Amino acid sequence: MSTRQQATSPLRSRITQHKEAFSYSLAHLWQNPVSTWITLAAIAIALSLPAGLYILLGNLKTLTDDNREVPTISIYIKQNITEQQAQDRAELLSELKDIENVKLIKREDGLKHMKQISGVQDIIDTVGGNPLPHVLVVTPRMSMFGDSDIDLDELALRLKNYPEVDSVQMDTEWVQRLRAILNIAERVVLVVGFLLGLTVLLVVGNTIRLNIENRREEIEVSQLVGATTAYVRRPFLYGGIWYGLFGGILSLVIVHSSLLFMIAPVNRLAELYGSHYYVSGLGTFATLIILVCSSLLGLFGAWIAMAQHLRRQHAMQDR
Amino acid sequence: MIELQDVSKKYPTGQIALYNVNLKLQKGEMAFLTGHSGAGKSTLLKLIALLDRPTQGKVLIDDFDISQLKRNQVANYRRSIGVIFQDHHLLSDRTIFDNVALPLMISGMRLPDIERRVHAALDKVNLMSKQNDYPMMLSAGEKQRVGIARAVVNKPSIILADEPTGNLDPGLASDIMQTFLQFNDLGATILIASHDQPLIERMGKRIISLQKVKSR
Repeated sequence: MSTRQQATSPLRSRITQHKEAFSYSLAHLWQNPVSTWITLAAIAIALSLPAGLYILLGNLKTLTDDNREVPTISIYIKQNITEQQAQDRAELLSELKDIENVKLIKREDGLKHMKQISGVQDIIDTVGGNPLPHVLVVTPRMSMFGDSDIDLDELALRLKNYPEVDSVQMDTEWVQRLRAILNIAERVVLVVGFLLGLTVLLVVGNTIRLNIENRREEIEVSQLVGATTAYVRRPFLYGGIWYGLFGGILSLVIVHSSLLFMIAPVNRLAELYGSHYYVSGLGTFATLIILVCSSLLGLFGAWIAMAQHLRRQHAMQDR
Repeated sequence: MIELQDVSKKYPTGQIALYNVNLKLQKGEMAFLTGHSGAGKSTLLKLIALLDRPTQGKVLIDDFDISQLKRNQVANYRRSIGVIFQDHHLLSDRTIFDNVALPLMISGMRLPDIERRVHAALDKVNLMSKQNDYPMMLSAGEKQRVGIARAVVNKPSIILADEPTGNLDPGLASDIMQTFLQFNDLGATILIASHDQPLIERMGKRIISLQKVKSR
């Protein structure tokens, strides 16, 4: 076979074809803006739900991972023990291998702190004097709540046996329960994310299938004059990526707008609990993951639609 | 060189379009394929253009059996030939320029080269002034000339035309044939299917006649 075609470098040809498919698919997206926006909205809503749940979960986890919530053990020292004796015990305890640090809260400091809480002043005045003991706040050596390296109950029991100790309090049950709930919620987010990811795949696949039907003539004529399967498939794959990417961006806009809407009441609630808790959004990494995943879902959906079309076409040609 | 060796084509319906056809067309030759409706002219062109495959026999181009080409090699082969269809096969939502540029875009040619080639092709068929129009704005003859420009824009060594003058008035038909003669003068091998006997006889070129296959 001979041809008098001018030789073009294969790499340059490929780059030119990609550039053409890139811009053509982008332009084609906005030729029918209403249907494009509807598709993007469907994708964005499907992606917003798992992204929103992910943010909610992340914020709840911060509550339990936060240093304030690491299970510190409060040791209430007997009333007859002096500050120096309490200080000595604190120093001895801090040398134990399973204890990170020990902080002495003097009874006077405790009283001052109590007085700052509204409504408590009157009660203290009624009691008279300082009814509070010295308190040792013990932080066990553990990186995060839930570490099984250390037996907190056993540690609490040991601490209670010291002669200066009146009682030991370890108020961490609610954190444990919340953690257990969050572990379940994490899996729910994964399942919801998977199902809604599948929805994105179907939405993009169906949109691309309709695009293929609308451009059937163009595909056939292109193939008649020598278009390869890759050439025919390329603009549709780029189309799928655009749908996924723009749908992902729109979902981020929805999620962050909702977050802005929620921040004020959440902060108010946190203030009521005397907390300095702040709602956090999606970080850069999570944002990138959402955009990459949504683009890949778009690409995969388009690939499936195009593969189906080509399979049908080949079957007809082979008949 | 185009060569058909004992080529037959039978459709799944049982209809035999071609039976035991042998044909040889030398490089640079221009010939007409004639015969009654249903004689298999279009089928024969389709087999050479690899738009269909023979059920029996070989189609050789420069001594290479194109029936052996795999699906992914067919596109390359089609880019090396120019095909003019009776019903034009133009894209209605693209300008004349874009329609003619299509084979070059598929080849991955750069835009300045595409512009140069398309302008040259449109100039040859006298349609430079229509390059920004859409197919629906053109007459049947003009559409046919756009089809010719698209077929030759890649400078193919083989041009196949299926009834390029069908439904055209004699004056236009003659103009189009003159265009083919010009391409033939430039060295292209041309095979044209036509049932316009008086016109093809005037051209003084080889005429290949196909007979309709009787039901077997």
